[in-house]
Amino acid sequence: MLGVDNLTVRYGTHTALEGVTVRFGAGQFSAVIGPNGAGKSTLLKVLAGLLPDPGGHVRFDPGHTPRQCVSYVPQQQTLDWAFPVTVWDVAMMGRTGRLGWLRWPGGKDRQKVAAALEETGVYDLRHRHIGALSGGQRQRVLLARMLAREGHLLLLDEPLTGVDPATQEGLMALLRRQADLGRAVVMVTHDLDQARRWCDRLVLVNRRVIADGTPEEVYTPQNIEATFSVSHLGHTHAEA
Amino acid sequence: MDWLTDPLQFDFFVRALAAVVLVSVLCALVGAWVVLRGLSYIGDAMSHAVLPGLVGALLTGGNLIVGAIVAAVLTALGIGAVGQRSGLKQDSAIGIVFVGMFALGVVLLSKAPTFATDLSTFLIGNPLGVTAADLWSALGVTALAALVLGAFHKELLLASFDPTEARAIGLPVGRLNHLLLVIIGLVVVLTVQLVGTTLSVSLLVTSSAAARLLARSLKKMMLLAAGLGILGGVVGLYLSYFFDTAAGATIVLVNTTVFVLALLLRRRE
Repeated sequence: MLGVDNLTVRYGTHTALEGVTVRFGAGQFSAVIGPNGAGKSTLLKVLAGLLPDPGGHVRFDPGHTPRQCVSYVPQQQTLDWAFPVTVWDVAMMGRTGRLGWLRWPGGKDRQKVAAALEETGVYDLRHRHIGALSGGQRQRVLLARMLAREGHLLLLDEPLTGVDPATQEGLMALLRRQADLGRAVVMVTHDLDQARRWCDRLVLVNRRVIADGTPEEVYTPQNIEATFSVSHLGHTHAEA
Repeated sequence: MDWLTDPLQFDFFVRALAAVVLVSVLCALVGAWVVLRGLSYIGDAMSHAVLPGLVGALLTGGNLIVGAIVAAVLTALGIGAVGQRSGLKQDSAIGIVFVGMFALGVVLLSKAPTFATDLSTFLIGNPLGVTAADLWSALGVTALAALVLGAFHKELLLASFDPTEARAIGLPVGRLNHLLLVIIGLVVVLTVQLVGTTLSVSLLVTSSAAARLLARSLKKMMLLAAGLGILGGVVGLYLSYFFDTAAGATIVLVNTTVFVLALLLRRRE
């Protein structure tokens, strides 16, 4: 289990999130949906421990810390794809946290990385430079790194951006499989259609949680309008 | 084959060859990080920023190398701290700290009774003036740098490629950055003293950048940078011997030519 209780995040005078309470459970594939600037990525970063949580609003299963169990996949465009690393090197980075300081990857780590690359369908590309891959292949490599990390809470920031429709299907099927294996999968996206088709839970966010439930419960014209154009306070947020 | 063996009868030439080979390996180890992290300016900056350490050592009668190392470490930590706290890019942080340090050196120098000539040889360096003791210290620093960079390789790699993921798994990204800057600082102090500013910047940046154009992984990039550095060093030294040109500058020109060739030859995948 992973979640936040009554979380408010401010950047200076701008309020990114206000009074957000949400839970993500094991075996669930959830999508956090909202327009640009709605605070989706902020929520994900707080959950991943990347933003400070001075008020102690993040909730974990007892006995766990975010660093042990969270695997975070950043937005593709935040990375330097000209960096001299191969597909294998990137996937192996997923083992860094598991290995700890002053230890080199061993046979077990290589096995995990190979399995992760097989699972995401890029094992045959393992010797290629990452800069030589397409957007969809790069995303698969990032997912392989996520799997190699063996977290049971998977957080993904816009995994469908820059990925062609055919590959999107493959990625969503892979994430669905991870949820079915008992992991908690949380994806930030603005692709409502894909989220409706593959996720068992949608959380509509625009600074606050607008709606939270199954796609059938959440996908109503009122909720969509409240999320993407007019907030429940009556202010427009589409430009935020 | 006489042309190949003739220069080898001179001890200074053999020592220069050994120095160039060692320094090429050392610069390849740190040069990869210099190029990948956009720190290309640091070689030149660091060679100026050690001035207050040198002058301080002269004024107090201390050891010049120790003075330079202290100044280099302070500069490295200063660059790291300014970059981290201000949110400015590293090149701005380098510029701010290095001119400040250099100016401090100049001010201190005006308090020195006479301008010491050993200071200028320390700042400028010359591969043909390398002593056996210099070679041993170069070997020591190469081993130390290889050990530290090898020990923290996977952490440095992740923190450089994806700092967000590095923070997410709890790596101290800021401290790793400081460590890298300190190692780069030490390497620059040593190589500048040994082979001069121009050649040390060339080995740190030009060889590593040429290697980056051709290599697909970091390990290959480092190996290739060392290989290219050694090649440029040996060819450049022989050319300078036969054409009676300045050794350091000739090697730099060979390295620059190698870079241009790499630019023309690189495969686009």
